[in-house]
Amino acid sequence: MDGSVTLQEVVMRFGDFTAIEPTSLTIESGEFFSFLGPSGCGKTTLLNMISGFLTPSEGRVLIGGEPMTNVSVNQRPTAMIFQNLALFPLMSVYQNIEFGMQVRGVDRATRRNKADELLDLVALTGSGDKSIAALSGGQKQRVAIARALAVEPRVLLLDEPLSALDLKLRQHMRNELKAIQRKTGITFIYITHDQGEALTMSDRVAVMSAGRIQQVADPETLYRHPQTGFVAAFVGENNRLAGQVVERRGELAIIEIDGLGRLAGCAGGDMAVGQSAALFVRPEHLRVVRPGQLDVARPEQPCIAKLESSPQSTLEVEVETLSFEGAWRMLEARLTANGERLRILLGQGADGAVELAPGERVHVGYNPGQARVLVDDGSPRLDTETGEVVEAASPGGVQAQEGDHVSPA
Amino acid sequence: MFRQLKARFGSAIAMAVVGVLGVWLIAMVTLPQLQMIDYSFRPSLLPAEIGGPKDHWTLDNYVTLFNNEIHLAIFFKTLWSSVLVTLLTLCVSYPLAYFLAKVASPGQAALCLLLLVIPFWVNEILRTFAWFILLAYSGPLNELLLSMGLIERPIRYMSGDAGVLIGMVYAYILFMVFPLYNAIESLDGNQIRAARDLGAGSLRTHWRIVIPHAKPGIATGCIMTFMLAAGSYAVPALLGSPGSRWFTQIIYNWFFAGGDWNQGAAYAFMLLVLCIGFMSLVMRLFKVGLADIAK
Repeated sequence: MDGSVTLQEVVMRFGDFTAIEPTSLTIESGEFFSFLGPSGCGKTTLLNMISGFLTPSEGRVLIGGEPMTNVSVNQRPTAMIFQNLALFPLMSVYQNIEFGMQVRGVDRATRRNKADELLDLVALTGSGDKSIAALSGGQKQRVAIARALAVEPRVLLLDEPLSALDLKLRQHMRNELKAIQRKTGITFIYITHDQGEALTMSDRVAVMSAGRIQQVADPETLYRHPQTGFVAAFVGENNRLAGQVVERRGELAIIEIDGLGRLAGCAGGDMAVGQSAALFVRPEHLRVVRPGQLDVARPEQPCIAKLESSPQSTLEVEVETLSFEGAWRMLEARLTANGERLRILLGQGADGAVELAPGERVHVGYNPGQARVLVDDGSPRLDTETGEVVEAASPGGVQAQEGDHVSPA
Repeated sequence: MFRQLKARFGSAIAMAVVGVLGVWLIAMVTLPQLQMIDYSFRPSLLPAEIGGPKDHWTLDNYVTLFNNEIHLAIFFKTLWSSVLVTLLTLCVSYPLAYFLAKVASPGQAALCLLLLVIPFWVNEILRTFAWFILLAYSGPLNELLLSMGLIERPIRYMSGDAGVLIGMVYAYILFMVFPLYNAIESLDGNQIRAARDLGAGSLRTHWRIVIPHAKPGIATGCIMTFMLAAGSYAVPALLGSPGSRWFTQIIYNWFFAGGDWNQGAAYAFMLLVLCIGFMSLVMRLFKVGLADIAK
């Protein structure tokens, strides 16, 4: 049973609007694959092309190596779990689960046996005769999974199915979904705007924005080595400092930021001197550095070559607020040089003990091996406060790439 | 109801509203009906004899119907033909309502609804006359079919039931389309998509998902169409032939040709009982209550 899904140069246009830019991708059989992106990025459109509800304007979709171009929705080896679940409210749980099998002409006894097996799998044993209205949110979720699995799909498509659930239940269902995926070995393609869901469950994640796949990688790689500014900002939290590339030393890139001078970070991909770029430092990689203790911990990441004339890696900030968040504290501060906001995570170690009063000026340092320099590729920018897309894609940054590249020394 | 109105508008307006409603229901609906029922149980008398010894309650007017084979046949024919009209209207309206509710874009749906409604700005009699012309022996429909070579000689549409059926389906289509449209429109599109995704074809999707959901709308449309068809006078009078007489025409004749209001009232009351019977039957069949229909 080959449940691989291949997208070959698919494009989706609605009138003048291009919802999906040319995209090629292969999802392996048996993989838990997520599409992660803000609303409107085209992830649901991609899912609908795989399920057959939409026909790509260009390119084609293959499932198990077979082209799906002329295969209609009801003939495809896929099953979808809808955002609102779309259970049939006038039917019982059994009737819901058996619907797909009935369509396929499976006889009554076999249907009932299979439905009971599936109810066992989703931990709803004995609920077959209940009506849909009598179920709780989590139970409905499970029935939807059972109903989709009943048609023995090679690929299960999930369109933000957990978004309607309470936080606790959502976290619980993540584990269950992952367990069901492991047990059944079916390819799961999961759509979400919730990075927590994507990162915890997936084998691989495709981060999308504005109809384009920004990066496809396993969750750890996405977090540690984002390849675009969008991924760096969207996955996890990040502080972004914009500037220009001035130097490239091996894996290290140095950028010049107005008012802050030269700062270093690992270079995420090719870049040319003079290109606009940004330094991304995660809140947990920033440390408060006390006077006389300027030495930041030595780099652990392999991207750092020996630094002869070490660029600056401390910044002066003014404390704004310090909020207690349980296991850690979050320090919000503004750079004294240009007033940009930084978020700094203070753990429970020595950092956690520091007392900081609003208005106080302190130095924060970071390890260049844990920061990343990424070129401005014109992808949408995210609001640091709300996480929403604030700026549409503009081709401005892309032109700069044509400048001469600095070859890594 | 009074308390809600009072809370909202004050007691003076509330009393006025309830009063007007009450007067209307009692004086304009209930009392005339009771008067008719009273008529139907009394013999037809000369004005001088009213209140005299012959003026007493009797079932004679009802017995007349069961003793008159022709009238009884027309009574059951009206019942059967109205059922047929209802089913035909349902068959025509369902695809239309589904298209309007789920397939058409909002603009297309609005245009179609407007096109459906515009003819109904014309009086029913005139619309029926239009069909009279269309369906005439040497009318446009026959001419068209002849010129296309589909038929060899003109068809007499109005000598059998066909003219009446066509005219009625057309006259009552809106009363079927609107309840169906409302019912289908409220169906979540993902239900249809989910059924397709699970492998169901169009027929099964309609049979298992759309029709069960639209049941209250179907029941409402069927009841309205049936009542209107059974009580229709203009369409059978204009488009019918002696062979396709409607029970309403007999009632009319008792009242105005025969001058026997008591007999006419008894016949009319029988028709009312028939309609109520049909309505309860449909409601039981579709397992819907009055509250579902009022929606």
